[in-house]
Amino acid sequence: MSKRPLQEPTFLLLTALAQGPQHGYGIMTDVERMSGGRVKLRAGTLYAALDRVVAEGLVEADREEVVDGRLRRYYRLTPPGGDRLAAEVERLRQNAAVAAKRLELRHRAMGDLA
Amino acid sequence: MTAAGGLEARYRRLLRWYPPSYRGRHEDEILGVLMAAARPEQSRPGARESLDLLWSALRIRTRMILRGADSQPWADALAQVGVLLPLLMLLLKLTEFLSAGAHRSFGTPADILIGAYGRPGAYAFSFQANPYSVALTGNITDALTKGPLPAFLLAVLVLLGWRRAAAVLAAFVPLAFLGISLTNGYTLLAGPRGDVTLYAYGLEALILVIAPGIARGWRALQWRPTVLLAAATVAAGIGINGGLWPLLHAPAPHPLDLAGRMALRAQLPHGFIGRLFGVGAGQWGDWLLYQGTLVAVIAVALIAMLAGSPVSRRVLALLAIPFALGAVIYLCSLISPPPPASAGNALAVSPLVLFLLVAMVYWLGHGPRAGQDVPGRPAAPGDA
Repeated sequence: MSKRPLQEPTFLLLTALAQGPQHGYGIMTDVERMSGGRVKLRAGTLYAALDRVVAEGLVEADREEVVDGRLRRYYRLTPPGGDRLAAEVERLRQNAAVAAKRLELRHRAMGDLA
Repeated sequence: MTAAGGLEARYRRLLRWYPPSYRGRHEDEILGVLMAAARPEQSRPGARESLDLLWSALRIRTRMILRGADSQPWADALAQVGVLLPLLMLLLKLTEFLSAGAHRSFGTPADILIGAYGRPGAYAFSFQANPYSVALTGNITDALTKGPLPAFLLAVLVLLGWRRAAAVLAAFVPLAFLGISLTNGYTLLAGPRGDVTLYAYGLEALILVIAPGIARGWRALQWRPTVLLAAATVAAGIGINGGLWPLLHAPAPHPLDLAGRMALRAQLPHGFIGRLFGVGAGQWGDWLLYQGTLVAVIAVALIAMLAGSPVSRRVLALLAIPFALGAVIYLCSLISPPPPASAGNALAVSPLVLFLLVAMVYWLGHGPRAGQDVPGRPAAPGDA
């Protein structure tokens, strides 16, 4: 399995599926909401990303529905996808902890100087 | 037609840029998302949305082509060529060096470094005959394409299993050549051999990035096709230097003498095959006797490989790419009146840019392919 850090859109895509299966439009709106509107996946980008994570075995099709005459395909996280996301969360958590610790030390040092 | 109907039709037109098989699986689904995300009364796709769809279609198409390499024969062929190509290039350089040196002289280390096999004093002469900067840049580009050092280093890196370093070196050679040539205003349509060499390095860089590992390449190698290809390479190396005649008969005149230059010019071959194998006008009898033998060796080797296995056929097809591109460029250079240098350069550079661009996009998008590069001594060829 690749140990390269996930790109943010991929990370958010996997996160959107962490709670349960979602269809394309659901993922798109969820990613935008989670990122506070900063990351907007357009349809082309979303499906190119889905194509990649499906090929990597991180995500798989769950079920299909027809709503208002249109096909909706739901996607879900696979067990390797869950592991990959968990590993990425841990990596980010460790980085954030180190950064927070350093900032705290920096603030203390600046406080001592003042 | 309603606004929604018009929008849907326009989205469908944009989705035609996707590969048909992908469209078959996802068109309705993507269309559903696009329509759900559309503003009320929107009748045309937005510019960003359109660009996003076109760019994604390109990515999906590229990915599907590269995924074709996931099939077993292609994966094996790519892995084999990733290992074979540097070794064959080194073997070709070694053959050229030995056959030219044997019937003339091996020359100084500097002569060998710039690939002036059998032309002793060529390096020093270049500085006498040209301004310093012209001679220097010419010698550097010669060292990159004709000299043995890049091929030697590439072969060593592949033998060590250092794929990333090998890929970087393979990409560096054509990039450095192009950088030097273009900044100095050279015409790149220098000759089929130079072009073929550059394409071979570019192709090797691409294959090292997309192939499933050097270790797999060693495992997939089979002794029979490898020996056949090696024999064909040695035959081509001898053929490039004028065939068997100079090896079996009197030494050729010194190429830097006036008489020698005249003699060589008189024998200058015409056409791609002629240039490759040294066929001169009125020399067909000699050619059949001395060089036809070499061509026969090459032909038999290639035909045997073609009939060998699906993997061998693919190996041969991949190895033929630099030659095919070189032949196209060479044929274009024969157009009368010749195309302007800028058009020729653009034509010659395009395949290289394509190779390196695809390799870069693949590398950035995926990293190197899964598959372990095993440092140290690789498995012996044929250890399947």
